[in-house]
Amino acid sequence: MLYTLCFILFAVGLFAVSTQKNIIKIIMGIEIMDLAVNLFLVMSGYRADGRTPILTREVSRPEWLAAAVDPFPQAMVLTSIVIGLGVLALLLVLALRLYGRYGTYDITKMRKLRG
Amino acid sequence: MSEIVRTVTRWIFAFIATYGVYLVAYGHLTPGGGFAGGVMLASGYVLLVLSRGAKEAEKSLGLRPAKALDSVGALLFLAIAVLGLVLGQGFFENFIQKSTPGEPLEILNAGIIPLCNIAIALKVMTSLFVVFVVMASVRFAGSGEELEYTSEEE
Repeated sequence: MLYTLCFILFAVGLFAVSTQKNIIKIIMGIEIMDLAVNLFLVMSGYRADGRTPILTREVSRPEWLAAAVDPFPQAMVLTSIVIGLGVLALLLVLALRLYGRYGTYDITKMRKLRG
Repeated sequence: MSEIVRTVTRWIFAFIATYGVYLVAYGHLTPGGGFAGGVMLASGYVLLVLSRGAKEAEKSLGLRPAKALDSVGALLFLAIAVLGLVLGQGFFENFIQKSTPGEPLEILNAGIIPLCNIAIALKVMTSLFVVFVVMASVRFAGSGEELEYTSEEE
């Protein structure tokens, strides 16, 4: 139930990738899927009424371990967001090159092989 | 773009840059940090590209200095990590915090973490600037033609 939004978002992205013909819309679908996976990973570290994962002197270690949210997925997802940004830049440059070669963003018209 | 847009963008750019520097400088205390602050700084340049065109925005930082600063950011991060190995016991050891512990919730309390944030922000800002300027300066001579870059290739 907690992860419903992630699955809906992922389905939206998959729908865009599999049905759209415009290459920019396909890239948008890929990015929506990327965000859905990131959201899923962050929510896997979620804990209801959790506290921030910072160990201070005021709180005892067992109590902190029982209450703090998991910081590991958050740190990993931050890396994943950066990689997603790089992938997005690469995809857009490839789309630009395809536009320069064919003069269109429609993937059904990119048929002819041109050396 | 019109004169109004160009003037307002110049004003807004200063505020965006200030907020980006704030996010970087207080990254170890509040939400934010190197990546978020770097993206914020780069978004100011994105605004410049959108309002003035890639050619004029490129002059504000320059592609070649941006590429150099990009490498400097990465090397600075690596240097901080190796300094932990040299001055302390391990890779990425927080040697400043070990030798002179700071008060909690003060700006100078986290040792090498703000320095790492600055290096990351430098890297992220300049690389995003380069990516956006290069992508915005692509011109098409017409359909079926090869790409032409208006900025000179190095």
